[in-house]
Amino acid sequence: MSQGEILQSMKEGAEKVAAVVSQASTLEEAIAYAVNLTVEEGGTTIAAPGMDEAAREALGKACGEKGITLLDSPLRNQMTKIHTAFTWADRGIADTGTLVLNSDSEELRIATMLSETHVAVLPTENVVPSMDSLEGYMTDHFKKGAGYVAFITGPSRTADIERILTIGVHGPERLHILLAENFEGGEK
Amino acid sequence: MIHTPETDKAFKKQIKESLEKDFMRKTLTNFSVAYRQSRANAFSGMDLEGMRGDIACMKDAGIPNLPELFDEFKKNAEAAGTIIHVARDGEEANRIIAQIAKENGVKSIVKSKSMTAEETFLNDHLEKDGYEVVETDLGEWIIQMRHEGPSHMVMPAIHLSRYQVGELFSDVTAKKQDPEDIEGLVKVARKELRPKFIGADMGVSGGNFAIADSGAIGLVTNEGNARLTTTLPKVHVALMGFDKLVPDVSAAMKILKILPRNATGQALTSYVTWIKGTNECAPGPEGKKIQHIIFLDNGRLELAKDPIFAEALRCIRCGACANVCPIYRMVGGHTFGHVYIGAIGLILTTFFHGKEKARGIVKCCLNCQSCKGVCPSKIDLPYLIKNVYAQVQEEDGGKPLKTRLTSLLLKNRRLFHTTMKAASKMQGPATDGPYVRHLPNFLMGDHNFRRLPAIADRSLRDDWKQVKPKVKNPKLKVALFGGCATDFIYPEQGKAFAKLCEKFNIAVDYPMDQSCCGLPTMMMAQMDTAKDIAGQNVKAFSAGNYDYIVTLCASCGSHIKENFPKLLTKNGEVPKNVQAFSDKLIDFSSFMNDVVKVKDEDFMNLGRKVTYHYPCHLVRGLEVTEAPMALLEKAGVNYKESNECQVCCGFSGSFSVDFPMISKNMLAHKLDNAEATGATTLVTDCPGCVLQLRGGAEQRGMNLTVKHMAEVLLEEKK
Repeated sequence: MSQGEILQSMKEGAEKVAAVVSQASTLEEAIAYAVNLTVEEGGTTIAAPGMDEAAREALGKACGEKGITLLDSPLRNQMTKIHTAFTWADRGIADTGTLVLNSDSEELRIATMLSETHVAVLPTENVVPSMDSLEGYMTDHFKKGAGYVAFITGPSRTADIERILTIGVHGPERLHILLAENFEGGEK
Repeated sequence: MIHTPETDKAFKKQIKESLEKDFMRKTLTNFSVAYRQSRANAFSGMDLEGMRGDIACMKDAGIPNLPELFDEFKKNAEAAGTIIHVARDGEEANRIIAQIAKENGVKSIVKSKSMTAEETFLNDHLEKDGYEVVETDLGEWIIQMRHEGPSHMVMPAIHLSRYQVGELFSDVTAKKQDPEDIEGLVKVARKELRPKFIGADMGVSGGNFAIADSGAIGLVTNEGNARLTTTLPKVHVALMGFDKLVPDVSAAMKILKILPRNATGQALTSYVTWIKGTNECAPGPEGKKIQHIIFLDNGRLELAKDPIFAEALRCIRCGACANVCPIYRMVGGHTFGHVYIGAIGLILTTFFHGKEKARGIVKCCLNCQSCKGVCPSKIDLPYLIKNVYAQVQEEDGGKPLKTRLTSLLLKNRRLFHTTMKAASKMQGPATDGPYVRHLPNFLMGDHNFRRLPAIADRSLRDDWKQVKPKVKNPKLKVALFGGCATDFIYPEQGKAFAKLCEKFNIAVDYPMDQSCCGLPTMMMAQMDTAKDIAGQNVKAFSAGNYDYIVTLCASCGSHIKENFPKLLTKNGEVPKNVQAFSDKLIDFSSFMNDVVKVKDEDFMNLGRKVTYHYPCHLVRGLEVTEAPMALLEKAGVNYKESNECQVCCGFSGSFSVDFPMISKNMLAHKLDNAEATGATTLVTDCPGCVLQLRGGAEQRGMNLTVKHMAEVLLEEKK
């Protein structure tokens, strides 16, 4: 599979489960996407744990311009206030359209679990064709001691009432994936 | 609280009540049909058989080593700060969890879905101790408030309508909720449960995998509640059965690739959560989570050593065995199971909750093989169910009179055949052509949904000398395995086979020492008798050097092919003559199509309108689907496929006598579907199905002739 085919498969896999997939070629573009989406949805806050300093600064500036509050740590005190979670994903699994998030950080977990909308930046070089290619990542992750890894495939869903598929039970109601070429912003 | 009937009478009463729940039946029927399609889509382009084989293999390698896997898991998890416990039974698990709550000053507990916690009735225990326990999975929350158990392993509230949920949520919120707005109802759960997550001191989860070589666990969920349960409170307790231990990530991923696809037709659930050790958690000591994992034994470690039942521990809890079960969809999970429902529930209930809870339900299996066909870890569920039934009977210390008599009769071929002959003579005045005129008293009432055939005046064996094909230089030499129905009820089917063979220059023997195949005794869980009869039959055919042993009965066929080797295994090996007998066995349609290779030009093409019913034991037992279709095409009939043509007709021998109310409903469904095709002939490949379908069509006065494939081919033969 070429990288182009893998990304196409990632896009199709994620769209099949009601995620919205877009491209972003610069950090500014990704930030603008998250901020504008928040404004469009009538949200007033963004939580963005796990970003490097420069990216966080740029995001803070963009938020300020649109009247959006960039929530500070600790998010635990603001659990009911998170509209958008803006985070980096570590890996993508193409055939199922899945995001893999190193969720060791409690901040990251709270943001991605309690927000209404989750916008995840996925560096394209980190998308693998299927789960099989992820065994090494998982094994390494848990070698070091405690850890928490999340596979996220589309927004939260249920079919518990009359088997009717309904989006947004306890987790985010919307999931946006930004396929990112050649730029960084996630914490190292 | 769950009330599971402990007597036959109470169980049958509950079945009748369940059959009256029209909404539930319609929902489960729709689900059963939709599930087959979504499962097929989910696995499209994948090597499903290979994946199933891999899981069975991986699980079988782990089951004898559960204690070793546990030790490895414990070492790795403890190194990451987790506290590991072992609970011998449900009561001990509950006590341990209550103790953890007490030690940590817990007041409120949130729970994500865990079948293992259902198994131990954890909520009851914690509530009794004064804790607030809130289920957070939507379905579980609904049934918790209704004080019910789950009616499906994956969709616990599938038995309820939007109106019932709407009413419940109106009470909970003290505000009228619109039942037609399902999204609105789901949002009620989101809104009501958010503060519960935030305020809880302890989160209890189950777990789908415990990965030995790392000490991590994996949770497979859709709603996001398990993530919150394991993240927000300062204490996380995971309760898991020993059977959830897997050696490594690779093994866990093998399961993960098949579990959601087989459960709900999803490529992957919304969330898969992998957790190891004491992660960051601000309210915990030194900012770390307090994590406990309790491994529940409750009979599992003993089960792991059992030569027959260890296989049950391969179960990955996908719930598919219920999805495809024709009984489940009629009566629902509250009737068809105890805590664990569906086929695997019939088995696990005995070991986890005792024979009292299993006594009623364990009989209630058609042996239609549907569950076995979809089980992702290839558990031979119907076979295990019969073995559980045998065990329950044994422990109850006495077999029902009917069972003992049948056993006695079938074990002695001469006695059996003499009895059949006598019965044929004696029934004279009670017959009405080929049917029984009046049903005997004990078969009245519930049983009057089909006409029962009379025993033939002369059996196939009586007439065999005249029937035997007269051929010179035959191209094949085969034996016919008749089975009781062909021999004594429908000898005309056997005669049709003999005539066809004569036309195609095939020599046929009918070894007179053959008897009943023994399946009816296995259905009654008389495993010893089943073994005995299997041995007699192998011997009866051992003298002739046949190219094939053909049977017109798919049930006999699949029993011989699959169960004879299992029943007659000695010291872990299948004797050669048993294997040879089983290998030579072939069903009628496969024989005519694949071996004799009949051609279009052999037939007259009368152009009649035909539909086909796939016998369970043909399509799933012998895995034959193409041969009958090829034959009908060659015969030039005008074929119309019935909806759900591979679903059981509801006969299943003594099942239809024990559970006429279920059998009747299944038959009605079958005939409705056949009628909708406009066909005038319904063809099948099993005399048992002929008995059920013909009897039902006759009772309804339908313009539908039910025939065995052999009869149809003979009629069409030039």
